[in-house]
Amino acid sequence: MTDRNRRRTLKWIGAGIAAAWLPSGPALAEPGSLLSKPIPASGQKLPVIGMGTWRTFNVGSDPQLLGARSEVVRAFFRHGGGLIDSSPMYGSAPDVIGYALERLGIPASLFSAEKVWSPAGGTAREQVAELEKRWGVKRFDLVQVHNLTDWRDHLATLREMKAAGEIGYIGITTSHGRRHREFEQVMASEDIDFAQLTYNITHREAEQRLLPLAREKGIAVIANRPYDGGALIKGLKRRGEKVPEWAVEECGCRTWADFLLKFIVSHPAVNCAIPATTRVDHMNENMRAGSAPLPSASARRRMAAAIESL
Amino acid sequence: MSDWSSYRLQDFIPFTADIYFRLLERMGETFWPLHLLTLALGTAALLFALKNRARVACLLLAPPWAFIAVAFFMQRYAELNWAGGYIGWAFLAQALFLVLIALVRSAPLEPPQFTNPAVITGIAIALSGLVGLPLLAPPGGHSWYRAEIFGIHPDPTAIVTLGLALIALRGPAMWAASIIPTLWLLLSGLTHMALG
Repeated sequence: MTDRNRRRTLKWIGAGIAAAWLPSGPALAEPGSLLSKPIPASGQKLPVIGMGTWRTFNVGSDPQLLGARSEVVRAFFRHGGGLIDSSPMYGSAPDVIGYALERLGIPASLFSAEKVWSPAGGTAREQVAELEKRWGVKRFDLVQVHNLTDWRDHLATLREMKAAGEIGYIGITTSHGRRHREFEQVMASEDIDFAQLTYNITHREAEQRLLPLAREKGIAVIANRPYDGGALIKGLKRRGEKVPEWAVEECGCRTWADFLLKFIVSHPAVNCAIPATTRVDHMNENMRAGSAPLPSASARRRMAAAIESL
Repeated sequence: MSDWSSYRLQDFIPFTADIYFRLLERMGETFWPLHLLTLALGTAALLFALKNRARVACLLLAPPWAFIAVAFFMQRYAELNWAGGYIGWAFLAQALFLVLIALVRSAPLEPPQFTNPAVITGIAIALSGLVGLPLLAPPGGHSWYRAEIFGIHPDPTAIVTLGLALIALRGPAMWAASIIPTLWLLLSGLTHMALG
């Protein structure tokens, strides 16, 4: 079966079964207290908690898991969520997002973020066109160059597409702290709207140069791996540590999700964190972390010190 | 931070544990009651191997390898992992190789001896794949469909094949028949480690 046929089959098989138990709701968004920050390039507001899809949304054509992930997306939008980030590197994740959007409808708050990635094959234009079909959207709000692969060629193409109105914003990505020197050079020399990088309370290298540069250049920052691939929050929960009382009082951190995510999105340069989850209860927890109050600069220092002391 | 030091095993597995275990469960759901036939095939292969009928044993092992190549790897696992298609081809190659051994190989001069450590080890390995692995799944409140069965799932199929190779094959044929099962079991072990 070709990739395209497989994707089409995936959508229809899953749709048939999940339609039986997934209520289709026209009004997904509920008024919430999710904070948002302006994208420097335009002033458009972006909710501070987005959604990643690496590993978690690569479920293939399994109807049961397609239905379960649709519920995760439903919870995301119910809280007013905006940015969903995926990549051609993430297996069937773009198809699964497309499946969920087809079932739930596309809310106005959706901020669709995709990537171009050379090993996926084809030109940047071809990849974007293919991914639009997989998501079932007419136009991506943001297209990023994944892990800087062939970034010169891809950025040139994406810039043309942006000028023609075919995509909204352009950006670059890295993760795990890789290639920061080159990433910084691209941020400094190229006209980009977004930079996606790893930033969390235990991986704060970006604070040294990349985040200040983003502020200086007016580049929006998406923080990936906010839980360090899940290890960070699982480790804290496993230890049975309670969130410090001062963090509850200072910035309303009721849970470790609050603590870890509020730390990230309270950095002045960071627009959005993109935790990934397979579970609705975790999605609810993540989204609640995007509400006020956010920690002050002094509280942020105390938060980092608290984690370092564990 | 250097690039390579930042990679972890988990970074190479593009799905979560629940997705992988659900894939195993789906195989069980989709193909039940084929399990009964494949288990009968596996048991028969073990008995033929013990009766010095290596060629028949290899012929009985080949269809499960081909079935898993297509139904598990090419049609399902490949949706989750680009490497799935290639692993499927490796499983098909193993099926063809088993047929080839059956066609060209003469029987060993002496039947398997129960005093031979290799034979005893082979029996233990084969039984662990046929009986032991399926019994590992149910604890944890999961469905019996998640039980890994010879001929339906790759791990027990590779384990049983290794056991039968030890019982019935000798020399280059034994080593050659063991390469792909061993590589798969290594890969599967790493996957389980990464998934926690």
